[in-house]
Amino acid sequence: MPLIRKSSTSPLPLLSGKDDVLRALFEGHAEERWAAARAAGGVAGGVKALGAALCLERDVRVREAILTSLTRMASPDAVEAVLPMMRAEIAAWRTGAIDALRAMQQAAWPYLPQLLADPDADVRLLACEIARTLPGEKATALLCGLIEGESEANVCASAIEVLAEVGTAEALPALERCAARFQGTRFLEFSIKVTGERIRSQTAGLA
Amino acid sequence: MSEFTAITEEEFRRLCEFIYRRTGMVFTEAKRYYIERRLVERMSIAGSVSFASYFTRLRTDVDREIERLINAVTVNETYFYREDYQLRCMTNDLLADRLKHKARGETIRIWSVPCSTGEEPFSIAIWLLENWRLVDQYDIEIVGSDIDTTVMEKAHAGVFGKRALMRLTDDLVRRYFEPQGAEIWKIIEELRESVLFTPVNIVDPVETRQHGRFDIIFCRNVLIYFDDASRRVAAENLYENLMPGGFICLGHTESMSRISPLFSVRRFTDAIVYQKATGGPA
Repeated sequence: MPLIRKSSTSPLPLLSGKDDVLRALFEGHAEERWAAARAAGGVAGGVKALGAALCLERDVRVREAILTSLTRMASPDAVEAVLPMMRAEIAAWRTGAIDALRAMQQAAWPYLPQLLADPDADVRLLACEIARTLPGEKATALLCGLIEGESEANVCASAIEVLAEVGTAEALPALERCAARFQGTRFLEFSIKVTGERIRSQTAGLA
Repeated sequence: MSEFTAITEEEFRRLCEFIYRRTGMVFTEAKRYYIERRLVERMSIAGSVSFASYFTRLRTDVDREIERLINAVTVNETYFYREDYQLRCMTNDLLADRLKHKARGETIRIWSVPCSTGEEPFSIAIWLLENWRLVDQYDIEIVGSDIDTTVMEKAHAGVFGKRALMRLTDDLVRRYFEPQGAEIWKIIEELRESVLFTPVNIVDPVETRQHGRFDIIFCRNVLIYFDDASRRVAAENLYENLMPGGFICLGHTESMSRISPLFSVRRFTDAIVYQKATGGPA
């Protein structure tokens, strides 16, 4: 029979030692940087180094490993290392950042109010996704606070899309006012209609 | 089709969106009847009187309801030749692709993780022996791994009931199994010894690294149970465990694209699988 059984194989190399890891994170070739990014979460000074590497790294796969290491830590430091990427010029970097922040859940929640009030509309738009992991009442309060004063239709649409999943009945008046302010903006009117129906149906089902 | 409808079209859409967002599993309208039946079961057991109350329970994951729903909508039962279209894809396309990157005489390594009670790795072995014409020209190493050492003990014992063998022809059962009593069969010793069973937690890189690199990884219906952070780590671990150009096969409702940008999608005649780039970091 050609099938063979080996009782041992060559384990993949493991990068260890703080100095080696931090040096490889910035100076290694892509394979070494990938390994260093995965190991950096376990060494002293790793968060700071990962945050710095995130600002410089161009390789998609190494960036992914950096974000995953920060996601695993899910600490305030790790969140703060990711936050600058929400302003990145490259869309994929912004998306990577928001995926990581959403995965950090509770660690990212305290930063949500300031992100939803950010002067940059792209940051506000992306930040809505973090609210998806919040309890419904808190998410509703934060997102309604956003749409009440928001001037960008796309930001409102992002908030409303999240409300469609997590929103409570308290969102309905804010949704109506938003619809009135953006009268004629078809996609938003449709989105508000669907979200309102979902929330009403959810509320009726709970009654 | 029955007129049975537990939820409205809008509620079905809402449920599917939620399942996709939380697990990566994709269910279309074609699966509606199936999903509704599972949903009704879960609602009944959970004591939810409406979709709204059940959805609240699901969203807040009361009493691990997400896991319970996943269990209900996935077929947890394992049996020989389950999702055999992926095995067909392996012998029709994946192995030929892998051989382009391998030196003559180099071993082909295949990993079944999680392997549960062994039906999958033994299925891979039997399928290769039966369906790959080059099987005698290469050394093939099959490893089955699971976090649960109890099920792995069963896998290593290689003893199966009638239900596990239901997809195999009588001829295959006769050639690869020995009867052990009433509706109990044991896999032949030669085949049993050809699969190595090891414990592994796929979220732990120290453990996954011990297994080296593989040409093909079967990792079906496990990533759906992880939260986003663990899923990212598991995807990176599996990526490391693949040789450059290696393939990973997920369950038929799962999508790696949502989990990680590390892999590229490959659409073959029999299955959609995910591939590690031939170059780039390990």
